Amino acid sequence: MKLESALVLSQEQVYQDTFLMWLSCPPVAKGGSPGRFVMVHCGDGLDPLLPRPMSFHRFRSERSERQFAILYDVRGRGTQWLSRRRASDELALFGPLGRGFAVDPQAQNLLLVAGGLGVAALVTLADDAVAAGKAVTLLQGARTAAKLFPAHLLPEEVEVVSTTDDGSTGHKGYVTELLPQYLSWADAVFACGPNPMFEAIAAAVRGSGSGLTRRSGKSVQLLMEEHMGCGTGVCYGCAVFTPKGVRLVCKDGPRFNFREIFR
Amino acid sequence: MHLRVDLAPKGKRSLVLDNPVMTASGCFGNGLEFAKIFDIERLGAIVSKGVTLRPRQGNPQPRIVETAAGMINSIGLQNIGVEAIVRDVAPIWATWRVPVVVNIAGESIEDYAELAHHLDGVAGVSGLELNVSCPNVASGLEFGCDPEMAAAVTRAVSQETTLPVLVKLTPNVTDIVAVAKAVVEAGADALTLINTFPALTIDIDKQRRALGWGSGGLSGPALKPIALKMVYEVAAAVEAPIIGCGGIVSAGDAVEYFMAGATAVQIGTATFVNPRAPLDVLEGIGAYLSQQGIEDLRELVGAALPTPRPAAG
Ligand SMILES: Cc1cc2nc3c(=O)[nH]c(=O)nc-3n(C[C@H](O)[C@H](O)[C@H](O)COP(=O)(O)OP(=O)(O)OC[C@H]3O[C@@H](n4cnc5c(N)ncnc54)[C@H](O)[C@@H]3O)c2cc1C
Ligand SMILES: Cc1cc2nc3c(=O)[nH]c(=O)nc-3n(C[C@H](O)[C@H](O)[C@H](O)COP(=O)(O)O)c2cc1C
Ligand code: FES
Repeated sequence: MKLESALVLSQEQVYQDTFLMWLSCPPVAKGGSPGRFVMVHCGDGLDPLLPRPMSFHRFRSERSERQFAILYDVRGRGTQWLSRRRASDELALFGPLGRGFAVDPQAQNLLLVAGGLGVAALVTLADDAVAAGKAVTLLQGARTAAKLFPAHLLPEEVEVVSTTDDGSTGHKGYVTELLPQYLSWADAVFACGPNPMFEAIAAAVRGSGSGLTRRSGKSVQLLMEEHMGCGTGVCYGCAVFTPKGVRLVCKDGPRFNFREIFR
Repeated sequence: MHLRVDLAPKGKRSLVLDNPVMTASGCFGNGLEFAKIFDIERLGAIVSKGVTLRPRQGNPQPRIVETAAGMINSIGLQNIGVEAIVRDVAPIWATWRVPVVVNIAGESIEDYAELAHHLDGVAGVSGLELNVSCPNVASGLEFGCDPEMAAAVTRAVSQETTLPVLVKLTPNVTDIVAVAKAVVEAGADALTLINTFPALTIDIDKQRRALGWGSGGLSGPALKPIALKMVYEVAAAVEAPIIGCGGIVSAGDAVEYFMAGATAVQIGTATFVNPRAPLDVLEGIGAYLSQQGIEDLRELVGAALPTPRPAAG
């Protein structure tokens, strides 16, 4: 693996402060899969210094070339710089990195749970699952309606249920409040969002009697985030403290099985 | 082209590197991750993550914040402890052609001595690097802040080992030359300059310090001019080989360190920017030398010093 140059194919603002960027970089796209990520340089020189971790949001094949997209929110100076790139600009990045989702071929009903921009990493999983003939429900929560991932950008087979903190669309409250209704339907759960969301999922799973237990074979997979230095497992910046000891988001994750994080 | 360097020309055992590019402690894990990514055996040496007597979990999140052309870390010496290093990791190092230097950290002089004792004679370990930027629990002061304490640690380690001993100095001092002289006197074979510079940032939304631990150490390009001056001052005053470290991202940066008197260099934070940075710097040094028509790297060492350095190695 080395620092690669990626060609920006397109960039558009898809909703409030959220940008979609398609990239051409075959060596990185090759090993990419749902839940894995890339480290993207967001500047021309040495400032900002550190590359930004970004999940694979989507894949497509154009004239037999595998291409990928990232979906990102403008937060600080790195993503601000990124949002000013245009088609035919070049970016420096490296990857693919980390451990992605693992979908059991037997699992038929997939429940995807997204908090905020956690949805970025779940869309490609939904694409794959629909293509494989599975049933997919996406529970997505956001601060407000303008920050929800537009349902029309998903395969139409995906059932989308939305919640907003301010009640501007859908259920008013957190996405995890709806979980209990869906847990017994689900053969497998895939979640990405802020850490408090994972705590709420843990509470729901424990209280559900949904059969999402150790022995059921049903899996709950969490995609976690921490500030990163290297993205490659060498700086120990992205540690998570688990019952079995310290793990690294970039190397041991970002996908963790529920039981690796919660007792 | 002559790139070979000896970091312990006067030691009981030599530490000869094929070339002067090393990885910096804490920025390359224990080498195992990158061994799968590129040919790390082409590097001059690998330096391990800081190793302590017992395993350490490290500090709470966040452990890293970015700053202008740099970053601050407070990893808190997360590591698996010396026993696991000797049992599980050193046997892998022993199969590599590239020498591995183990960076050690302690809370007392006895800790350092015991670590040195554990690591002496272990196959796969070619040298020790003492991280003296750790607080001595007895006094609360960093070992490396005081020439006498730094010398005491160095002496205690030298007595326990036949391995070459590098002492990694902290910039958190008034007079780095005094510390450098004291540790060389106490048996250090070479000096690594420098460790991170104490630093912090404030999260203005939360109105508190951004790092989970509070403060941390500054690294990256922002650190380079500070480190370079310290290398220059020490090189002018001390004969032992110096390993320059701080903010190196390119071959040009490394050449600056050589000209300031460094015999070798370590690449740290640059590896986060570009995983292949250490090899890129090595290749760039080769390209620079051939472009300049220089056959022997030693011709560059100390070129910018007021009086040329005696060639080491
Ligand atoms: C595995 C992983 C996958 C991610 N995938 C996506 C994605 O698909 N889309 C998306 O919008 N965001 C994603 N993020 C978060 C994204 O990396 C941050 O939003 C981004 O780094 C912010 O950079 P900035 O320059 O705008 O912010 P600044 O605040 O200027 O960044 C300063 C530093 O903090 C780090 N940082 C800030 N916020 C975060 C955060 N939430 N997580 C990790 N590091 C952070 C930056 O990387 C940088 O080193 C992901 C994070 C991780 C760990
Ligand atoms: C994430 C991180 C972890 C580090 N861990 C250690 C360590 O365990 N022991 C040590 O002596 N130095 C450690 N350092 C300091 C580096 O080895 C180096 O001295 C410093 O970062 C300056 O070099 P750079 O600017 O090239 O990174 C660490 C630095 C970073 C950024
Ligand atoms: S980001 Fe460096 S170890 Fe994970």
